[in-house]
Amino acid sequence: MAALKGLRSVLDFIYLAAGVLAALCLVAILTLIVLQMLARWTGEVAPGIPEYAGYFMAAASFLAFANALNRGSHIRVSIILNAVPRKIARWIDVWCFAIGAAVMWYLVYYGWRFVNFSIMINDISQGQDRTPLWIPQSFMLLGAVIMAVALTDHLIHLLFDGKHRIQRDLVDQSFGE
Amino acid sequence: MEDFSVIFLFLFVLFLLLGSGVWVGLALMGVAWVGMELFTTRPVGDVMLTTIWTASSSWTLTALPLFIWMGEILYRTRLSEDMFKGLSPWMAGLPGGLVHTNIVGCTVFAAVSGSSAATLTTVGKMSIPELRRRDYPENMVIGTLAGAATLGLMIPPSLTLIVYGVTINESISKLFFAGVLPGLVLAGMFMAYVAISSRLSKSWNPTPEPPLTFSQRVANSRFLIPVFLLIAVVIGSMYLGFATATEAAAFGVIGGLLLAASQGSLNWKTFTESLMGATRTSAMIALILAGAAFLSLAMGFTGLPRALADGIAQWELSRFELLMVLLVFYIILGMFLDGISSVVLTMAVVEPMVREAGIDLIWFGIFIVVVVEMAQITPPIGFNLFVLQGMTQHEMGFIARAAFPMFMIMVLMVFVLIAFPELATWLPDNIRQGPG
Repeated sequence: MAALKGLRSVLDFIYLAAGVLAALCLVAILTLIVLQMLARWTGEVAPGIPEYAGYFMAAASFLAFANALNRGSHIRVSIILNAVPRKIARWIDVWCFAIGAAVMWYLVYYGWRFVNFSIMINDISQGQDRTPLWIPQSFMLLGAVIMAVALTDHLIHLLFDGKHRIQRDLVDQSFGE
Repeated sequence: MEDFSVIFLFLFVLFLLLGSGVWVGLALMGVAWVGMELFTTRPVGDVMLTTIWTASSSWTLTALPLFIWMGEILYRTRLSEDMFKGLSPWMAGLPGGLVHTNIVGCTVFAAVSGSSAATLTTVGKMSIPELRRRDYPENMVIGTLAGAATLGLMIPPSLTLIVYGVTINESISKLFFAGVLPGLVLAGMFMAYVAISSRLSKSWNPTPEPPLTFSQRVANSRFLIPVFLLIAVVIGSMYLGFATATEAAAFGVIGGLLLAASQGSLNWKTFTESLMGATRTSAMIALILAGAAFLSLAMGFTGLPRALADGIAQWELSRFELLMVLLVFYIILGMFLDGISSVVLTMAVVEPMVREAGIDLIWFGIFIVVVVEMAQITPPIGFNLFVLQGMTQHEMGFIARAAFPMFMIMVLMVFVLIAFPELATWLPDNIRQGPG
């Protein structure tokens, strides 16, 4: 049991840490864009900033996926889930987490190949930044792995504990609209 | 079509995954995977990754988290109190009285936030208790708030328009400016409705406001000056061509932080809360966009968009008829799906159709936004209804009924847009060409 508890806190820490890292990526995007404007006004050249901002965007999104999942921010159609008795809803939830985890692990598998391929052919950005693409792509992969783990984590909880650990907050969710 | 059964299977999977409650972004990826497996022999996984990487690392997308963040910062300031205090002295004399603070308040907050729900909470937090205290009819208070908050989607910045622009590759700045006049017209229509029904209603008997002199009114509104300055900087910089949408969003975040700091409502807690909230919301939308990018690739292989566009051409639907069909289609879709998901889900199919019919895509963006706004206040899953339910403890049915007149006004707005397309196209045609 102690080992399980340890695993629990390690996982929760990873989800949170990835979320914080994603938030730092947002701050980085803001900084880059301010730099770009400053550069333009002072007549300096700041090559590659749009590309860097794009990489941070991808990293911010993927790293925050798991955190957003745990806080119930990801949108889903819940009409049927809310209408059926709890027992059936649980099995529908199992199905949802299973599909979600399957899709995400699939993405991870091909993401791994994708990054390795970028390293193998030494893929370098077409833009002015000349970044080796495997570096930003690895952050996407990392985020995808964490999301896949989180989905599996919830699925296992649902199967053995009878409930997943997502705090659903419709108000939080609706902020995307 | 000989592969009709395959298309049927594809659509069945789509409805199955979405309907059973798989998270929209993941459901779209799953459906796209099925579509690719059914219709192509290409290596699906590798194509999927390339598509998702390209869609997720795009420079245009960076406007999204920044505008969300700006809204999150302002949502945590004292703005909602200031808004009511500052606006009410000016609205008290109008027929319909302080109910107008709901509409004008939403219009103002919509100009700093791209979210309808955030607009609703910010304005409603203060105006619901204040209006109740003055005995305004409850259904008017709730209805106008639900309706006017949807302006958050139309008046720039607008998350829905960013998502639409990214999906069809149109300039975000142009789309933003397309939304300005229709947004103001819609707000005007809401206000006209309030004025007329206050005159006709017999139960309209709110407590009158104490009269204020002009200088007292100005004194009450002085707190609103920073917000208007912020709006002027964000929208003005885009209009004059100083900044792209993303850069204007950066102005917005910094301006929002300064505004919060000057009010004393910026501390480590509100800062991190706003940042984490923005991170999560933007991740949520990014997941949907990633799934949608892959789905629209798969859709192309299914031949469905092409077939539908040809079908529309064959039926010789006039432009008006096509728009009516789409109007009904989106209203129905909006009952089950949130706005952003319905935009990204359908654009792959609808875009060729709309282009074929010769409809301007900037204009069409505003059309979609009005329709998505309607979805916000239609049961069973209108988000604004949920948010209002949480705030007022009313039954869903009561709120939906209270909001129904606003729904009808939005339907009217669609016809206004069709009759006067210049409302949406004139401003974007006249912005200064800026960087990028």
